[in-house]
Amino acid sequence: MSEKRFAAKDVLITDLCGVRLKNPLIAASGTFGFGREYDELYDISCWGAISVKGLTLHPRLGNPPSRIAESASGMLNSVGLQNPGVDVFIRDELPWLSARGLVVIANAAGSTEDEYTEVVRRLADSPADIIELNISCPNVKEGGLLFGTSPSCAGAITKAVRRVCRQPLMVKLSPNVSDIAGIARAVEDAGADAVSLINTLTGMLVDTRTRRPVLANVTGGLSGPAIKPVAIRMVRDVSSAVKVPVVGMGGISSGDDVAQFMIAGASAVMIGTANIVDPMAGPRILGEFERFLVEEKIDDLSTLVGSLKAK
Amino acid sequence: MMSSDKELNSPRERTATIISKIHAASDVVELIMEINEGREAAMLGSRFSSPLPGQFAHIAVPGSFLRRPLSVAGFDDESGRLRIIVRRAGKGSSALASLPVGSSLNLLFPLGNPFPMELIESFGKVWIVAGGIGLAPLLFAARRASQRRLAVRSFVGFRDDTHVFGVEELEEYGPVSLVVGGVVTERLSEVMDREAPGLIFACGPAPMLGALRLVCAPRGVRAFVSLEERMGCGVGACLVCNCGIKSPDGFAYKRVCADGPVFDISEVGFE
Ligand SMILES: Cc1cc2nc3c(=O)[nH]c(=O)nc-3n(C[C@H](O)[C@H](O)[C@H](O)COP(=O)(O)OP(=O)(O)OC[C@H]3O[C@@H](n4cnc5c(N)ncnc54)[C@H](O)[C@@H]3O)c2cc1C
Ligand SMILES: Cc1cc2nc3c(=O)[nH]c(=O)nc-3n(C[C@H](O)[C@H](O)[C@H](O)COP(=O)(O)O)c2cc1C
Ligand code: FES
Repeated sequence: MSEKRFAAKDVLITDLCGVRLKNPLIAASGTFGFGREYDELYDISCWGAISVKGLTLHPRLGNPPSRIAESASGMLNSVGLQNPGVDVFIRDELPWLSARGLVVIANAAGSTEDEYTEVVRRLADSPADIIELNISCPNVKEGGLLFGTSPSCAGAITKAVRRVCRQPLMVKLSPNVSDIAGIARAVEDAGADAVSLINTLTGMLVDTRTRRPVLANVTGGLSGPAIKPVAIRMVRDVSSAVKVPVVGMGGISSGDDVAQFMIAGASAVMIGTANIVDPMAGPRILGEFERFLVEEKIDDLSTLVGSLKAK
Repeated sequence: MMSSDKELNSPRERTATIISKIHAASDVVELIMEINEGREAAMLGSRFSSPLPGQFAHIAVPGSFLRRPLSVAGFDDESGRLRIIVRRAGKGSSALASLPVGSSLNLLFPLGNPFPMELIESFGKVWIVAGGIGLAPLLFAARRASQRRLAVRSFVGFRDDTHVFGVEELEEYGPVSLVVGGVVTERLSEVMDREAPGLIFACGPAPMLGALRLVCAPRGVRAFVSLEERMGCGVGACLVCNCGIKSPDGFAYKRVCADGPVFDISEVGFE
């Protein structure tokens, strides 16, 4: 048959807990701002969805510089959830994103249960399509990660947020734990509609001349291809432990990477650091993934997701 | 389609080929690159945009994960040739400086906000204040100012004789005070005491910019500085490149890549 049949765009359509994405590629939180900057470079409506920068109840200044360091095949960041606050997001950024017809994932962060629930409550009546609960940010002292590292805390916060959340609730998991599948099960039991993973791996680098940490915050989150094998392993572990959809991420920078995550069990993927090094990563990776589908004669994504064979 | 100035000057991913390479000073290399249409620019059918003084290119350097920000040190509108002056500061800049002529590079360009060239007119003259490699963007600013027949006076400081570059070029545009191994802002303040200063454009190490502010503030002299911070995306989305800026409510972080790199010196923190 002609290639057209396989390349037809509707092959890419992905259902993510009831929300229709035109393709399974999502811009990862914190690497894409609120979309405006990349929209100057290309039409960002090519993305299946956009997960916006982590939102807190009040504006946050973030950590002092330096906030970035390079390492082999990856980078450390310690932005520290700098954001204008959820209300400003709803007022100034969300209308524009929604008007573009984009599926918007609001990444919610906080440092107390009350803050998380209040952020999600304020988003409840907004046009945000999905809430991504970030209980895995390694870059703020009080925040997030505390909730993400034990199954009982992760379950409790998910349950509390679930009560006020009107959109599908996706919980973003931290890789900085010994049993990520256990945490995934806990948030599923508490009512999560999906899980996304992985957030960054905590790391640090040292400047040998000054003998100081390179990052002003001392530690930061490692992202990029360096973490991809860890992420794929965790996607496999989690997808075999839960029934809810798994959104995979960590170092994805090619169409082949997308396919690896999906074969390992991801229903959709997020792309973060690749945008930082290659501003055209979104459309490029989408094109590569479409070619992969054609070459492999895949006309139904569900035959790819979780299709990992035993060795 | 591409009509407004904004579109003409909007960043695109482009490829460039190094067509010449000159050893400018110890550890400093000048590269001339020819910009080929980036794949996106080609798709849009647009000509590449003309960069302005103060803007930078975010260059993918072979062997390094992140791009490296480098100022536009010159651009020829006719030929589309871009000049970059790079100091070997570490791994990435050294790799860039070591590339042979004929090498092809991917760059994201032009980025950032330029020096306010249009303001010079109301001051009648521009004073360039540079420390070391900080001269790179200012050579372009000085050239453009001189092309507009605006008076240019320069103050440049270098660590030692072996690091001096660009001075003869600056002399074509106007008088130059060269300070080797000393403090360039001291010379600047001496001259300011006898001569009405122009609008100041500056770039250099943070201590020099901090000293510059101490010279300018009490005299009410206006200065714009180009700042450096470690960058990720270079386009304003990842928030890693922030610097502290004074704001109406005290203090805020601004993005060096997208809100800068050029800032009014009176709003910069220099903690
Ligand atoms: C807007 C702007 C314009 C610049 N223009 C020039 C120029 O025209 N010529 C020139 O030689 N240099 C310029 N620099 C500085 C240049 O970007 C750094 O020297 C270079 O990134 C160092 O990389 P490296 O791998 O050699 O050093 P390493 O220390 O190995 O770099 C490690 C990481 O830190 C970053 N980094 C280190 N020092 C700096 C710095 N001073 N500024 C920003 N990031 C840094 C690197 O990009 C890299 O991500 C400019 C910087 C900025 C922000
Ligand atoms: C600069 C930067 C900022 C980030 N900010 C957030 C954030 O605000 N909220 C969040 O859930 N994840 C954040 N992340 C994590 C990413 O969304 C993603 O989980 C991680 O980087 C792994 O994917 P990648 O390797 O494709 O980047 C950030 C990552 C980077 C690099
Ligand atoms: S480098 Fe990403 S915001 Fe400036």
